[in-house]
Amino acid sequence: MRISELPSGLQRAKALCGFMLILTWTGLAESRVNRDFAALKADAQKSFQDGVTPFVKTYCIGCHGQDRQKGGINFQPALSNAGDATIAKRWKQAAANVKAHDMPPANAKKQPTDSERQAFLNGIAQIKFLSQKDPGLFVIRRLTKVEYGNTLHDLFGVDPTIARELPDEVIGEGYLNTLSPLQSEQYLSIANEVLDRILPRGGATPSSAQRRWLGSVPRSGADLRVAARTVAGSLARKAYRRPPAEAELDVLLGVFDLGRTNGLPYYEALRLMAKAVLVSPQFLFITPQGEGQPVGGIVRLDDHQLASRLSYLLWSTMPDAELSGLADRGKLHDPAVLRSQVKRLLKDPRSRALFDGFGAQWLGLASLESKTFDAAKFPQMNAEMRWAMYEEARLFFDSIVRENRSVVRFVDSDYTFLNGTLAPIYGLENTVTGSRMRRVKLTDPNRGGVLGMPGVLATTSLPNRTSPVKRGVWVLEQVLGEKVPPPPPNVPALEKQDQKTVAQLTLRQRTELHRTDAVCANCHKILDPIGFGLENFDAIGRWRDRDDTGGAIEAAGELPGGKRFSAPKDLKTLIAARSDDLARNLTEKFLAYALCRQLEGYDEVVVDHLMETLAKDGYRLQTLITEIATSYPFTHRRVQDSIASTLHEK
Amino acid sequence: MKSNHRMDRRTCLKGIGASLALPFLDTMAWAETGKSKTVKPPVRLGFMYMPHGVIMEQFWPKSPESFLTSPPPALASLRPVLNQCLMMKGISGVPIAPFNGAPHALELSTWLTAALPDANQRDVIKIAISADQIAANFIGGFTALPSLELATMPQTHKENQDGLNEGYYSHCSFRSATQAVPAEINPRNVLNRLFGKSNKTGSSGKADPLDRQMLDLVLGGAKDLRRKLPRDDQHKLDEYLDSVRSVERRIAAIEYRQKEAALEAAGVSVSKRLASDSPPIDIKIPEGEKRSEYMEVMCDLNVLAFQTDTTRVSTYIGSTPNGVSYPELGFNDEHHSQTHHNNEADKLGKVAAITAFNIAQFARMVQKMHQLKEGDGTLLDNCIMMWGSGLEDGNVHARENLPFILAGKGGGSLNTGRFLTGVKGNQGDLLTTLLACAGIPLDRPVGIATKQIREMTTFL
Repeated sequence: MRISELPSGLQRAKALCGFMLILTWTGLAESRVNRDFAALKADAQKSFQDGVTPFVKTYCIGCHGQDRQKGGINFQPALSNAGDATIAKRWKQAAANVKAHDMPPANAKKQPTDSERQAFLNGIAQIKFLSQKDPGLFVIRRLTKVEYGNTLHDLFGVDPTIARELPDEVIGEGYLNTLSPLQSEQYLSIANEVLDRILPRGGATPSSAQRRWLGSVPRSGADLRVAARTVAGSLARKAYRRPPAEAELDVLLGVFDLGRTNGLPYYEALRLMAKAVLVSPQFLFITPQGEGQPVGGIVRLDDHQLASRLSYLLWSTMPDAELSGLADRGKLHDPAVLRSQVKRLLKDPRSRALFDGFGAQWLGLASLESKTFDAAKFPQMNAEMRWAMYEEARLFFDSIVRENRSVVRFVDSDYTFLNGTLAPIYGLENTVTGSRMRRVKLTDPNRGGVLGMPGVLATTSLPNRTSPVKRGVWVLEQVLGEKVPPPPPNVPALEKQDQKTVAQLTLRQRTELHRTDAVCANCHKILDPIGFGLENFDAIGRWRDRDDTGGAIEAAGELPGGKRFSAPKDLKTLIAARSDDLARNLTEKFLAYALCRQLEGYDEVVVDHLMETLAKDGYRLQTLITEIATSYPFTHRRVQDSIASTLHEK
Repeated sequence: MKSNHRMDRRTCLKGIGASLALPFLDTMAWAETGKSKTVKPPVRLGFMYMPHGVIMEQFWPKSPESFLTSPPPALASLRPVLNQCLMMKGISGVPIAPFNGAPHALELSTWLTAALPDANQRDVIKIAISADQIAANFIGGFTALPSLELATMPQTHKENQDGLNEGYYSHCSFRSATQAVPAEINPRNVLNRLFGKSNKTGSSGKADPLDRQMLDLVLGGAKDLRRKLPRDDQHKLDEYLDSVRSVERRIAAIEYRQKEAALEAAGVSVSKRLASDSPPIDIKIPEGEKRSEYMEVMCDLNVLAFQTDTTRVSTYIGSTPNGVSYPELGFNDEHHSQTHHNNEADKLGKVAAITAFNIAQFARMVQKMHQLKEGDGTLLDNCIMMWGSGLEDGNVHARENLPFILAGKGGGSLNTGRFLTGVKGNQGDLLTTLLACAGIPLDRPVGIATKQIREMTTFL
């Protein structure tokens, strides 16, 4: 939910009071997803005309129209392009404000009736059906650092850490698909290193390594260029992850010729050619196979591009022989084949990449390794402990995927993975010893699931104490998929309090001061109870009954809607009961990760369809992953025509 | 800073010697000795960043008069070079509406662009070329590296503010509107990159003589591929083409140096350095994880890159707006959490200490530059080094008077030793003026700029 377009900080803050309720609006039409999309579209158009257009014209356009654009907002273009993906984000914001009775402002002359408000909200809720069916762009994507290292490993057997010097990067949604001189220099230097490792420079006779990687010695009298072209074909097929075009082989043969012209022996010239393969865009990017893309519109990914997209999603590396073979035979886009391949890839140990790439980011554990902890207070947060916390989460995530369990099990389970390092955090140091991580059955109902998992509890804390606010935000955003707005600018100070009194308050009492201020209260009355519900876990996830001030932990609280809880285990139960929200959240996050972009417009309809299918199956993980990997936006791409290409030729 | 950068105790550059320090294009005017005795060294432009603003009372000088005589506490470390510094109060940051919910995502990314992201395509990078990269386009062509980008922390922060791409959090350099430039965080790699040395086992350590021509052929193939792709793919491939061309140029620079070194070895003097210029500084790569030592070596690398004219443009993201602590200062609190200080003494003190720490790293760097002779003056005389933050007051995310310090005379273009108050201008005006001081012709102002700031310079 975006609240950025509101005119002032104060109004923004006031707008928050209804933000939680709006989050369910996307579900309004869910029950109807099986109906014909065209009928839904017609419905949506009518709801828009009846509920939204008159509302906007009567109550909004005076301040947010062509003439006055308060807060930079103008609804005039939005009325005629309601389904536009970028405008859809504005509509969501508008709905939040209207629902919260924040707009129209209290001092406006005309105020809508409750039924007018409801009609407006109903109209907005259906706007997704006005969007064009659109898989989104899938611009040629550079391999991530991890993918690049793994691919070099699969190609030449080198250790993936050969890529360690490349800049670290964010993967999935938010991925910076760009390339700078620095990276290109490193690609060249890593290519040199790979070749140095696999092809030690040696004597005059061809080595076994040369024959292994660059083909056998041509018969005497054979045309070396013909032999080199065969080598180029085989190298490029693997490294480009698709059959190379003749023109692409011509380029590689040109490099071979360059070497020969400069007096290089046959294998040395091939080596230079192999280096050219490793710095070519066809290796560094996932590129389509087709020589001529259809002009304009939407295309289905070719089978090789699909094979790469799938294998980089689930394995973070290039397709294996079976996947490539299916692509060669043009079978992969067959939905049944694709599904069975997803299942196969998930069974393979390489699918641990799902946690390292997606799971760790989702749970926030990617930052655990480098996070600062107060060394005096938490001396046990050494490298071994951090590793064990990460591994616990990884193995837990992995078990849910491999055993094809429901997403609910992420929140509510009765087992985890521990070793002797981590066991003391659970108070299980007498039962679990040694360095090996193993599955452990839990009897404490407060544990089991990500809400009571030390790695999560530690990364959502400050270096020296817990932060109920951070934990509250984490649960809302990462587990339930709600968007918590950042604090408004110009947060007023809590300075009017008597400092002595404040010093004697518990953290909870101090944090509750937020709620004495109207600007803060709207958000914090929702965030804080969840965070305080987890206060029995200290900043590294140990159970405690008293906080740092010595005051007893009061973990009791209430969620919006009046659901009360008195301990972490109750909170866990309440959140686990929201299986639809948990599933939708994970579906949206994983889809965005798979597509490497934010979801927008038509994606919402796609998610609705996915939810329908997943619900029937109890929201099981393999089904979720399979449905996403076979979904319309994953298997298709929107392309823009290339008319301008010759004009912009550099 | 990650732990896998533990290095040898020290790495000295002794022996690389004089052959380093040469611009490789003969069209270059600098150092063409023999024709004129007073050759003007080039102006170099460096930017160093700290997020979250400052404690104003401790940062801004009390008055123009007291700037040199009794500077505020935050500037204590700069005292020896205050005469080479220029401060101005009244430069406003880019107003960030409609991204009011993204103060931290935008503090770094607006810093050198003076522009806002495209509000309709928030999840991709779409902002504007940054001032350093504009400079790199003009003066970067004369050196082995068009520009040098450094950072202390990996640029991997995951946080979604107002739907903006995560890259906005941790990048300040943009080669084009859509191309964020990653920064190098490993000092060893920076050293290798600057001087083309390889420390990898089994590697010959020399540039492969055919690499440049090989890349040329690959580029030709990439252009063929480009022709067949849809438009968005073409734009992506353009970044590839651009970056590979830059690699070709770097190889050419290294080859040039190798030739010169060979000539020197054969007794033919080709050095264009003045005998009176200081020799290249030593680089000591620290072993531990101490932030001050790490920042020191990154600053030293910046000094060396400028001194040897390996590049003329640099950025150093000294710290990033997320989860950064300074255990070295005796507390573990995260920088950001302390900046929302609500005027509590404890937090004010910590923010002031963090600010002083960052400025001290900058001060060390510019003092080192001031000690290095170059031409008729010092290296610093020919540099424009800017330290700054993207917010004025982190407590309330204000950006009315951006805090920054300029050091160096920019080849005589900057009028230093002064604190100017009541200056009217914005971040774009400041950057536009700095580029003008570096002799960069602009066909349009940077970001929101409308003018140059006359008071800063000696020539306007």
